[in-house]
Amino acid sequence: MVDIRQLLILICVLLLLSGCIPNEYKFENRTGEDATKAEELLKGDDRLKGAAALFYEDHLLVGIRVKTFSRFNKRDIAKEVEKKLKKAYPELTVFVSADSKILTETNKLILKNDEKGLKKKIDHLIKLAKEET
Amino acid sequence: MDKKKYAKLEKGITPKPNLLKNCLKAFLVGGTICLIAQFIALFYMTFFDFTERTANNPTVATMIFIAMLLTGFGAYKKIGQVGGAGAAVPITGFGNAVVSAAIEHRSEGYVLGVGGNIFKLAGSVIVYGVFSAFLVALVKTILVKVGVVSW
Repeated sequence: MVDIRQLLILICVLLLLSGCIPNEYKFENRTGEDATKAEELLKGDDRLKGAAALFYEDHLLVGIRVKTFSRFNKRDIAKEVEKKLKKAYPELTVFVSADSKILTETNKLILKNDEKGLKKKIDHLIKLAKEET
Repeated sequence: MDKKKYAKLEKGITPKPNLLKNCLKAFLVGGTICLIAQFIALFYMTFFDFTERTANNPTVATMIFIAMLLTGFGAYKKIGQVGGAGAAVPITGFGNAVVSAAIEHRSEGYVLGVGGNIFKLAGSVIVYGVFSAFLVALVKTILVKVGVVSW
């Protein structure tokens, strides 16, 4: 039998270690656009600690992870980043969100590498993010 | 026995609560409840079409449901004994207040017993919540109509 104290220590260690998830920047370009501009912009912002950007047809879907102490105004940060990206890519429909759902789903779409129904999924994500409670 | 004498007597008899220890316990218990709720929110976000913003409502509903089950099984009062305010302040304390009142007055019948007493403790919370929401909405509506802020 596992002692309850051992179990508690195990849970504590696991919770502490779960903070060590690497913060990464992922960029996936499936258009003729130049992705380096977005890369520079997102990596240059010191309030962000991770991002996933997906260029597809006329869409640019970006999920960002904001640093812990900037989380209080993460919506404003997302808006600001969106404005900057729109300036850099005037012919794309840019959507930026600081919601962790958008970040994980964008990461999933990048990893899956499946073109079928991608546009539909992107539209679905944007619709979800704009949903009010 | 006059007032002063009584106060002195009362002071000597009343056990001194260990404030720091109680605060720490409340912090830990309340934090654990919130941690569980965070996991539930993460669950809804991973497996269903909820975002960080919309996952709130199902998470709150699930937490209240769990608190109701625990109250019915008699486990929540043990948590409350250890945690104090840490168990009462989160939304689970609200669920506990509703259900425990319902269980207590079950023997008086469903209408006058359960129906009449179910909101005995939590009713004031609901009234205050609705009334303050009404006031805030009123102020905001006036401000929007005047043109100071936008929706």
